Amino acid sequence: MLLARVEGNIVATRKHPSLDGWRLVICQPIGADGQAEGAPQVAIDSHGAGMHQQVVISSDGASSRKAVGDEKSPVRWLVIGVVDEHEPGVRV
Amino acid sequence: MKLGTVIGRVTLAKTVKTLEGGRFLVVSPFSREQFTAGLEAPRGMGTDPSLVVYDAIGGGVGDVIGYEEGREAAQPFDGPTPVDAINAALVDEMFFNPWKG
Repeated sequence: MLLARVEGNIVATRKHPSLDGWRLVICQPIGADGQAEGAPQVAIDSHGAGMHQQVVISSDGASSRKAVGDEKSPVRWLVIGVVDEHEPGVRV
Repeated sequence: MKLGTVIGRVTLAKTVKTLEGGRFLVVSPFSREQFTAGLEAPRGMGTDPSLVVYDAIGGGVGDVIGYEEGREAAQPFDGPTPVDAINAALVDEMFFNPWKG
């Protein structure tokens, strides 16, 4: 699982059918200090994560396939939650 | 998935059975700078090494694709298949707004 910041989204007409109807958000992995680390990753999102919100993305393909309901889907990265705070009482 | 630019194609003369007739693309992964520049900017190469991606949806040279890496890339196939990167989407539009801190 990676801490990431939502920095955009993509639109694709031709795609694997299992991705139909899913939001594809561009997530930039970040460190604890909020600085970008590595190249952005595109994840499917069912939580409606907003622009520049911090999220946690998971690379567990098995649960992503369950989420899209297609065992033959190549989907891998999934937004599993939106970050409220890194330590109690300090909102991001 | 990651985004990348299709910079070439590969044709295999002899392959394992499950990959016969497959299309393969040479893809240069997008760097953060290329995300920032957008799809309209002239596309050079990314900073990461290029890779070969299995393609079942018809990407061509110059297209920007989203490819999935890892064990999940073999998931669409019926039998065990030695594939670790697959084209999952042809990117039409990209909205990218880098966070400035």
